[in-house]
Amino acid sequence: MPDVWRHAWRLARKDLLIEFRSRTAILSAVVFTVLVLMVFNFGRDPTAVAAIDLAPSILWVTFTFAAMLALNRAFQLELENQALDGLLLAPVSRSSIYLGKLIANLAFVATVEAVGLPLFAVFFNVSILPVLGPLIAVVALATIGFVAVGTLFSAMTARTRFAELLLPVLLLPFMMPPLIWAVLATAALFAGHPLSAVTGWLSFLAAFDIVFVTLAFALFPATVDE
Amino acid sequence: MPENTPYMVAAYVITAVILVGYAVLLYRRTLKP
Amino acid sequence: MRLLKTGRWITIVGLALLAAVYVRALAFTPLERFQGAAQKIYYIHVPSAVCAMLAMGLVGVAGILYLLLKDPRFDRFGEASAEVGVAFSLVMLTTGPLWAKPIWGTWWTWDARLTLTLFLFLLFLGYLLLRGAVTEPGLRARYSAVLGICGLVLLPFIHLSVYLFRTLHPEPIVLKPSAPSLPSEMLVTLLFSFLVFTILYVGLVTQRYAVSLLREQADPHA
Repeated sequence: MPDVWRHAWRLARKDLLIEFRSRTAILSAVVFTVLVLMVFNFGRDPTAVAAIDLAPSILWVTFTFAAMLALNRAFQLELENQALDGLLLAPVSRSSIYLGKLIANLAFVATVEAVGLPLFAVFFNVSILPVLGPLIAVVALATIGFVAVGTLFSAMTARTRFAELLLPVLLLPFMMPPLIWAVLATAALFAGHPLSAVTGWLSFLAAFDIVFVTLAFALFPATVDE
Repeated sequence: MPENTPYMVAAYVITAVILVGYAVLLYRRTLKP
Repeated sequence: MRLLKTGRWITIVGLALLAAVYVRALAFTPLERFQGAAQKIYYIHVPSAVCAMLAMGLVGVAGILYLLLKDPRFDRFGEASAEVGVAFSLVMLTTGPLWAKPIWGTWWTWDARLTLTLFLFLLFLGYLLLRGAVTEPGLRARYSAVLGICGLVLLPFIHLSVYLFRTLHPEPIVLKPSAPSLPSEMLVTLLFSFLVFTILYVGLVTQRYAVSLLREQADPHA
């Protein structure tokens, strides 16, 4: 068992080194997030709708799109130079490849969210510091859900012709339950409701994560094996 | 309420079109050589 | 081919019985007091909902069996069930709003049932789109199985999230739908309709399965 984690971590490190060394990907993702936040600002009539009413939705639609963008690239590294075959020949189990990708993608999306969240708070004048702990928990759990399924699906769509279009089409239905719970939890937090109101959503998010990480972990070998 | 009837008629007609249409579609797909 | 003939006959029988359901629902079942004629949409909407969910469930099960046993028959069945599922979902998505408009006053409502229908429809479409995007049959079968299984596992979570979302964001109701306890004539019509829709499912899936088989036989390298 520890071998799987060791290999996974090493694979993740490789991916992250490549990503962050060139920095293009992460910068583009951050810029994209800023632009989406701006779109939300201009897409709203400030006299008709208060920012705080829309705030949870704005935050979560932004994070959903950012995660989607990041996941589109998840297996792109391997497509170039047919590195995937090399990876498959290496003495690591398929499961470590999935875990490694999962960790790398999570780190990438988490970085984008870490920049996006303060920006969101500033742009829309939402005080997140009082609820920062629970909010981070909600973001973390929802992101794990998005990325667990997204990593599995992007392994499948990476080799198809319309990958950038097909991945969102396949993935979005799976992102919606975590999205729903995350929005409800975030709204409760911003409205100042007690923590007990949020624990319900957190447990659903956790249940979703446990089920789908396990499922994706189990199914991933089928997507790369003969 | 008699004014509901158009909706009911539309629903029944559309359903028939979809199901019969699909069955016919399948039938024609198997006629090709 | 015998499978095809069997499929065609079952479908024809199913369609004939569907006509019988129509007659029974329209002429021999009493009018519901509060919802009027629109309530009769129920006899079509609910059975097709059950069949669509059955179709999705079987796509998922076929996926599991394919990954375990590698038998291409399961893959063919999954493809057939998904396409038939699209047809039934389409019935749900059209009859649903046609029922909602007179009863709830709006074409669309994000209530649990309609939203679940939309999800099912999109899952089926995603499944078929993925199949369309992968040309190699073995790869396509494995990918479809993976997606099918994930879709099946997603269903309870959709139920959970959509129902919760809905109860916290209630919409105004124009007329309250009647309570589930149906008088016996309505129940009989509903059960009869369930039976007929199931027969249609079996017939259509059999035909669609036969179509896949014929295609493979005609062009083994497709």
